[in-house]
Amino acid sequence: MKRTILAFVVFVAACSPAAPKRTAEEAAAYALSIKPTDARLGDLYAQSCRTCHTVADTGAPLTGDAASWAPRWKKGMPALLSSTVGGLNGMPAGGQCFSCTPKDYEALIRFMAGHES
Amino acid sequence: MVSRRAVVAGAVGASVAAAGGAVGYRAWRDREPASPPVHDSEGRLLWRNWSGIQSAYPSERAAPDSEDALVGVLKSAPHPIRPVGAGHSFTALVPTGGTLLTLDRMSGVIDHDGAKLHATVRAGTRLGDLGPALAAIGQEMPNLPDINKQSLGGALGTGTHGTGRAFKAMHGEVTAFRIATPRGDVIACDRTTNADVFHAARVNLGAFGVISEVTIQNRPLKRVLKRTTGRQLGEVIEEWPSLISQHRNVEFYAIPFTGLAALITVDETDKPVSPRGPDTDADAVMELKALRDVAGFLPAVRRGLAQSAFKDLPPDEAVDEGWKLLSNERPVRFNEMEYHLPLERQMVALREVIAAIEKHRADVFFPIEARVIDGDDAWLSPFHDRVCGSIAVHAYYKDDYSFLFDLVEPILRRHGGRPHWGKLHSLKYADFATLYPRFRDAVAVREMLDPEGRMLNDHLRTVFHNG
Repeated sequence: MKRTILAFVVFVAACSPAAPKRTAEEAAAYALSIKPTDARLGDLYAQSCRTCHTVADTGAPLTGDAASWAPRWKKGMPALLSSTVGGLNGMPAGGQCFSCTPKDYEALIRFMAGHES
Repeated sequence: MVSRRAVVAGAVGASVAAAGGAVGYRAWRDREPASPPVHDSEGRLLWRNWSGIQSAYPSERAAPDSEDALVGVLKSAPHPIRPVGAGHSFTALVPTGGTLLTLDRMSGVIDHDGAKLHATVRAGTRLGDLGPALAAIGQEMPNLPDINKQSLGGALGTGTHGTGRAFKAMHGEVTAFRIATPRGDVIACDRTTNADVFHAARVNLGAFGVISEVTIQNRPLKRVLKRTTGRQLGEVIEEWPSLISQHRNVEFYAIPFTGLAALITVDETDKPVSPRGPDTDADAVMELKALRDVAGFLPAVRRGLAQSAFKDLPPDEAVDEGWKLLSNERPVRFNEMEYHLPLERQMVALREVIAAIEKHRADVFFPIEARVIDGDDAWLSPFHDRVCGSIAVHAYYKDDYSFLFDLVEPILRRHGGRPHWGKLHSLKYADFATLYPRFRDAVAVREMLDPEGRMLNDHLRTVFHNG
């Protein structure tokens, strides 16, 4: 089902303002370069969040990409936690971290959104 | 290319204008499905599966970091004890009010044998992490599933597979494993040691205990050429018998209401690496949805638009190590039914499925996947003792999926199919006892390993208990 299955993709690409490729690559490279400093949180992140939030193709906001996270952060932590646990659009419920507690989720959200402090 | 885009844009635009009155309906249909509360009345945290149709509030969550700790959980934690990998199963394998058990802390390659091309891996390893780990020791699993977020234990336990006439499903390459049981012991087994457990629990639904580590027969790491080609569906169906003998891995996606297919072939190559480009599958699927939304009530327009858009489209090619190309990101969620049929019945059944969907369900837009898998001898393997052709039908996660049961499943069953254990089906114990020649033997082994039924939730009782 790769790109050639439909020229509709080409159609969308032609009609949509494409994000600068270099910027996207840089954002992805930065996402791959960082992880939580707390060891336990780092393990949880590596097993779950990282698999999507460092891969641009997933559509997930990349870790540390302030521009992508800003509109989400505005929703407030309760809403973000609810979306994380229950799932929303491409975000699978629980972020596929099934040993995470609500506090773990909040800490991981803060880390990925660049709001650890 | 520009003119083709213009054709699609113009036609879609006209359709949107003509269908203006349906905008409200489409917005209603596109609403996000409601999620259960984050916590239940007792403060327990929600668990949902990947697609969102299964949910539970486990009273405990366990993440053991060793085999000893795993045994402790199985012996004494509140039951039902249900292992979860990445939560990608659509069937109710995981829901529990007892203990939700993850092996996320038991992951990684433990050992390997370069001469035999064996690797011993902890069962909590995610497939996406296993590919590079095996590549680092010069090995690969040549047959990977479409998605690689799953845990190894979950993938093996549900009979997860890729495609390729010469390749078995993942569990078919397991040479040994260790399984912790609710009795409190750990059983090491292979074809000669505890052979009954080896045959019964290679595909286990997480109902026999929990596999802690697995030894896999791999192959030398290879570079492959992946080619994706837009084709006429009828041609691909006619060529399928020769395609499966010509290519190492081959599959196609039949796109309902278009007469089109996407053919994907993977073959070993010496060509220089040419990495895959940005993944556009999600965009493609959503454009199919857009086409459904604006032209679903005009089948001829829908087909004409798709055919126009496809004309003269060049193949997409990438060259790289197989683990980088065989699996894909799937950010658009869906529900799915997949049955594994005798190979000679696969294309007959596929034609019937497409005809039924195109006659009765204009709302369906997801491509239908056809693959081929070699047989194996695991007792609960859907590929037990026969080469299978699989048919997987999907429904967008926001859409009604009842047609999978009402319309699709009767066709797949009539052609002798066995369901994927992790994908939607309506079968019960009596059905499985008919479909699987060693089913009752497997049930007996399960009851020996879990005499108190600590691993069984409501769904699994319908599978393993008669009546």
